[in-house]
Amino acid sequence: MKNKILKITFIAAITIIAGCSSELNEDQELVVESGEIDYSSAEGALGALVGAYEKFQNVGWEQIPLLSVRGDDVNAGGLGDQAGFDDTDSFIYDNTYWMYRVFWENWFQDALQITAQMEQLERFREEGVDSRLIDQYIAECKTLRGYITLQLSKMYGDVFKVESTDQTILEVLPKNEIVQWVSSQMDEAVPMLLDMHPNQRTDIPGGMTKYTALAVKAMANLELENYQAVADAAGEIINSQKFELFPDFYELFNIPGKLCNENILEIQYSDFGQSSGENVRHLWNFYAPQGFTPAVAGADNGGWGFYEPSMKFIKFMLDRGESIRLETSVLFTDRGITEIQADPAYTDLPSFVSNTTRDGDVINDYARALFASGKHFLPTVQLTPGRTDIGTNNNYTVIRYAEVLLMYAEALTRGASGSAGSADDAVNQIRLRAGMDALSGVTSEDVMDEKLAELAMEWGIRYFDMVRLGETGELAYDGRNFDADKKFLPYPQDVLDQNYILREYYENNN
Amino acid sequence: MKYKSILLSIPLILCSLLTFGQDNITVSGTVTDEAGGPLPGASVVLQNTTNGIQTDFDGNFTLSNVPVNGTLVFSYVGFASQEIPVNGNTTINVVLLEDAQALEEVVVVGYGTQKKADLTSAIATIASEDLQKTPSAQVVQGFQGKVAGVQINSAGAPGDTPEVNIRGINSLYGNSAPLFVVDGMFYDNIDFLNASEIKNVSVLKDASASAIYGVRAANGVVLVTTKGGSFNRNAEIQYSTYYGVQQAQNVLQMANAEQFTGFAYESGSESEIASIEQAIQRFGRSRINPDIPDVNTDWYKQVLRKAEILNHDIQVDGGSESVAYSVGGNIFHQDGILDMKNSFKRFNLRAKVDAKATDWLTVGANMLYSNSVRYDDEGGAWQLTYYAVPILPVFDNAFTNADPTPYSDAREVGYRDSQNPFPLLDNSDKRRDRRRTTLNFYGDFHIIPERLNFKSTISYNYRADNERNILLPYYVTDDYQRSVENSTISNNNRVREDYIWDNVLTYNKNFDDHDLTLMAGTSFRDERQNYFGTRGNFDPSGAFVRDNEKTWYIVNTAEDSRVSYNSPNNNDLGENFQFYGFSYFGRASYKYKNRYIAYATYRSEGSNKYDETYVHLPAFGLGWVVSEEPFFKGGDVVDFLKLRAGWGRLANDAVPASIPKSAVTVTSIFDDTQVTGSQFSTASDDLGWEYTEEMNFGLSSTLFNNKLSLEADYFIKDTENLAIPVLPLIGTEVSFQNVGSVRNKGFEVSASWNGKISEKFGYTLSGNFSTIDNEVTDLLGQPFINRGVAEFRQRLVVGQPINVFYGWDLDKVYQNDAEIAADPVAQAAIAEGTEIKPGYFKFKDNNNNGVLDAEDRSYLGSPVPTYYYGGSLGLNYSNWQLSMDFYGQGGNVILNRNRAEVIRTQGRNIDAELAKNRWHGEGTTNEFPSSEGYRQLWNQRMSNFWLEKGDFFRIQNIQLAYTLAVDKLPEFRFTLTADRPFMWTRDFNGFNPEVGFDGVDLQTYPIASVYSFGVNVKF
Repeated sequence: MKNKILKITFIAAITIIAGCSSELNEDQELVVESGEIDYSSAEGALGALVGAYEKFQNVGWEQIPLLSVRGDDVNAGGLGDQAGFDDTDSFIYDNTYWMYRVFWENWFQDALQITAQMEQLERFREEGVDSRLIDQYIAECKTLRGYITLQLSKMYGDVFKVESTDQTILEVLPKNEIVQWVSSQMDEAVPMLLDMHPNQRTDIPGGMTKYTALAVKAMANLELENYQAVADAAGEIINSQKFELFPDFYELFNIPGKLCNENILEIQYSDFGQSSGENVRHLWNFYAPQGFTPAVAGADNGGWGFYEPSMKFIKFMLDRGESIRLETSVLFTDRGITEIQADPAYTDLPSFVSNTTRDGDVINDYARALFASGKHFLPTVQLTPGRTDIGTNNNYTVIRYAEVLLMYAEALTRGASGSAGSADDAVNQIRLRAGMDALSGVTSEDVMDEKLAELAMEWGIRYFDMVRLGETGELAYDGRNFDADKKFLPYPQDVLDQNYILREYYENNN
Repeated sequence: MKYKSILLSIPLILCSLLTFGQDNITVSGTVTDEAGGPLPGASVVLQNTTNGIQTDFDGNFTLSNVPVNGTLVFSYVGFASQEIPVNGNTTINVVLLEDAQALEEVVVVGYGTQKKADLTSAIATIASEDLQKTPSAQVVQGFQGKVAGVQINSAGAPGDTPEVNIRGINSLYGNSAPLFVVDGMFYDNIDFLNASEIKNVSVLKDASASAIYGVRAANGVVLVTTKGGSFNRNAEIQYSTYYGVQQAQNVLQMANAEQFTGFAYESGSESEIASIEQAIQRFGRSRINPDIPDVNTDWYKQVLRKAEILNHDIQVDGGSESVAYSVGGNIFHQDGILDMKNSFKRFNLRAKVDAKATDWLTVGANMLYSNSVRYDDEGGAWQLTYYAVPILPVFDNAFTNADPTPYSDAREVGYRDSQNPFPLLDNSDKRRDRRRTTLNFYGDFHIIPERLNFKSTISYNYRADNERNILLPYYVTDDYQRSVENSTISNNNRVREDYIWDNVLTYNKNFDDHDLTLMAGTSFRDERQNYFGTRGNFDPSGAFVRDNEKTWYIVNTAEDSRVSYNSPNNNDLGENFQFYGFSYFGRASYKYKNRYIAYATYRSEGSNKYDETYVHLPAFGLGWVVSEEPFFKGGDVVDFLKLRAGWGRLANDAVPASIPKSAVTVTSIFDDTQVTGSQFSTASDDLGWEYTEEMNFGLSSTLFNNKLSLEADYFIKDTENLAIPVLPLIGTEVSFQNVGSVRNKGFEVSASWNGKISEKFGYTLSGNFSTIDNEVTDLLGQPFINRGVAEFRQRLVVGQPINVFYGWDLDKVYQNDAEIAADPVAQAAIAEGTEIKPGYFKFKDNNNNGVLDAEDRSYLGSPVPTYYYGGSLGLNYSNWQLSMDFYGQGGNVILNRNRAEVIRTQGRNIDAELAKNRWHGEGTTNEFPSSEGYRQLWNQRMSNFWLEKGDFFRIQNIQLAYTLAVDKLPEFRFTLTADRPFMWTRDFNGFNPEVGFDGVDLQTYPIASVYSFGVNVKF
């Protein structure tokens, strides 16, 4: 009996002692910081900067169209599909519409992400990465964030200033203040940035340079109607002589225009010149016509037809005798051509007004729209052999030198003094490329017309110009009603619900 | 049959050899019940020995080597045991009486067993036979409707395991599944077990019962004991099989070509109308109705099929004096009802041995090997099928170059997408192989027999998963194809290994009126998993051949396309972990005079998962057996009545620890070159333990000579520090924070009645009903937290159930212009530019300010059912048995997300209900919009139009069985089963109202009805 109890006690003691183990002090999990960021390496810092760019470059397909659709240059296509997008084009706003929320959420997330990257860059500085380099990287982030904030403010009016990832100190600023803040952010960034054309950068080709920040500054001050500051910033870009108009307006929006000397900022995509494998592309289908017959057999023809140049714009261009810019900007269907000709003033049309493009793509009639945007359509002959997706390998241009020239010209016609030549010089450079006669003594009105002809369908430039100038009559075309209350999109309902700071601001200011 | 008597005689010979030389006799006789019916399989044992035998089919026994002055113990499940002195008799016939105290039943509880009569907490048991009625690979499916307080959400896809929820949602992070403990090992689910392998199931519902299992037990515990042998029992060989056919139930009716076309014309949408014209051009004009295309595809009919289900099972169990064994195996096969490579096949082998090594030591081992192959359904196909327009044929022979199949393409007639689900169905292959080995070894040391016991158990689980996902190439046209270079393979391996080592010391003492059990133990846990995967695109110049599976390997991918990863999400290591846990625990239970019961458990648990290493989890219970009191006068009616109360505290380790977030690797493009970068987190987590405290009050009673048994429970369960993904003020990155408190409370009642009309004719009736009242009680001062998706908002808000739907109240439909003109709310909206026409919704202006605005929104219903019930009716007449089970639930609403998807994309099919009931003229309806209105934002806002009542009632199972027991022949039992043959829903337009606890119906695999035939043979 005793022997038995001894045996059992022995076994039990061993098991229990063995059970009390030290494993509880082991590492929690096999989770490690992925990639183990080395905060002392310049390469790691560059990675943090690339992370900021990535956020900007992966913009969703619906967001730029929402920004652009309200001008008199473009209509929502779709005819019955995406009623909210169509309503927005007609200035009927429903703040529960999903695109309003998605734009808000994503662009603020971009601003926040870029801010997080800036905070991390400071850590790299602390760990010994060249302080000058960190200054430059942070300035690049500031420029990106400034551009994003400016667009948010143009869309929604009074918005948040995002300067820290600490969300408890968020603050809503009135539109003028937030745009002023963007401008001053650019002032901080300019001296830290590289003094070269973005396409001359070897580390990040097409990245931010001094001139990107100056362009953003000019855009912000245009919004503020601070025309002298526009003229100064735009003038500095012009005077640098690092930029020039791309000679072929038609190809500017196609593959040959990628990272050309005219472009100041692009969202970059690539299929890496390979017929298969990885392909990073924009979803151009949204803009493209439905069911067209591609010049290259087998190319995807599945456009969605949601983005239609307006009849008003086309007639405006015909009236001006535009050829290259009209041909580049608009894809015509037969149905659309018939519709133009239904107006007795336009029965006789130039030969390029055809449903076959110069590169042989045939735009068949489709229900959603009469026309499609040529600037957002890559001729199928330019597709990398083997690739079929619409627009594959093309970049999305964000800021180009032509816009800078025209901002400069506008500022001068509105009383600013400039050091980079006359308004005539700037406008005529652009007209020359477009095959238009030179003007002399250009007025503000001339510049605004030139802007419409040159920059139509791009980034809502036309809409925001008209809003800034209070030209509500221009926007009230084709039966639309527009008044000053409609200039901003409403805050998305879901954001108001979610964000108590915005809700309080909204309640106190309405 | 001769072999049978040989089998029967082997133990007898053994016994006689062992007891050779003593002065013993052989005793024989018959064991019957009160009515004189034989009790086959009753146990006859010589007291205080292991010499015993079971009665044969006629209740007869013969036991040799019985001392003339010995005592025989006769016992049979459900009957009171009897001890009869032999007194030299060689014939003893015994009548066993049905057990007055069915509550003598022993129930498996945490780290031990307890008499059911002594329980103070809410523990329910499920019998193995009940589980075997359901023809399914998933044992938990059989739980549905069987236990009050346990809710099962069916899963339709073969191999998918149903969701199990015990007593409401009390955690939002991770799942709400209980802990499954199978023979001591912890599992997240028991999808690897076949119902025939299970001996019994105990469900620990309340915290006072489950707290002993510590941090894994926050959602309740399901204890499963697998079948073992019995000492001194002849081998029983049992073979069973069933074969069945599955068929989709309540198939959703979509609009046919005529309805769809009519709806499209009424929409006024030019693009919709243009597509119909194009379809007429391409596919011809219907001769019956020239306005519609000559195509009428019922897409659900096309993608659904009848599918078979099959099970074979063989088991041998029995035991000698010192060894008990059970060995078995089974094969299960099920095809999915989705017409693609979609099936589940499982092969199990198991063995369990218990051996009395010495008088002070019992040892045992238990092993199970499970091997399953599953072909997953292509989940995206369900949505495609819903949306595919009926005017599109499945095939389009105009595509003459198609290879292998000329699938139709809706883009050809002007729609935005190709819509046809078949390219996806035919060209996906998602194979999941799973191999599992579980081992369990124990030594049970009887230090002081019947008094002090020490048991050490080591359990081990090894699981290896291999997932192979293939997207195969196909070609229809150049822009409707998947080229070889875009065809992919991913091959992922996951290996998981868990150990648990339990050491438990148990002490029993009965003296005078006192009954005391003390238990103390330790448990060590080690869980680790590794994941590794590679994917790539096939190389067109390589050896890959579409139709030759032997070429579907990573080696045949283009080298530069290969990517390897340590997690399905690529950027984290979430599938890789290594957890350790160490716990001390104990239980004390004390009973005085069989009347007063006190019970307590305690567990102190340490884990390397959190900063706070140890948590302390106490639980208490009290019971009062009123019927044992001398003053109790209910004697004639009430046989047994116990009141009980319990309290316990739980913590939840499913909540992740606050791990500093790692940077995410991203790539961006600069000048046609990919550059790698990293993105840092914009929101940080702040997490600690979630705690749940639960109080339970209950009563257990039997009445009318034990014919009626009754259990009722009421519980209040408070969860604090609920971890919630909190949306940021700006941006999209959520962070996890312990910011909520939630209360679940409810009633549970279950009752069963056993009755007998005549000797041959008996019946049983049973039913249970549960309520769940779920309410958010605190959000740290925040008014609410957004949940769900923005356009179909759900919220956490104090005073409402978790994830309550939030939106506008539908009032009616504007019938004519006069109504619109008379409504100031409509006029206010029109003044803002919104178009409102007859056929559009009128919403309630709840704050009466004359404008429809955000302030008019209200709470529109809970996504979680608030009540559920189940029951069964059994009849047996002679050798025939008929049973019918039913189940129902409701009180919830379901978001018809399929229908609501119109907010993003149009040009798709609609459900027949909407097509038929649409507003199309004054007086047609006040519930549905017009076709045009359906497309307008005004009507698309979140409202109860998109919500449907979740209430349903379903016949779960009807089974007819016949037992053929002829002397000298094996016993046969034949069954005919209809599983889930009928369902009635109140207001639901989907396949299956069991959509999951988020309340969103987007794409669920339909639940099939199964009609099966089974045979069971016992030798």
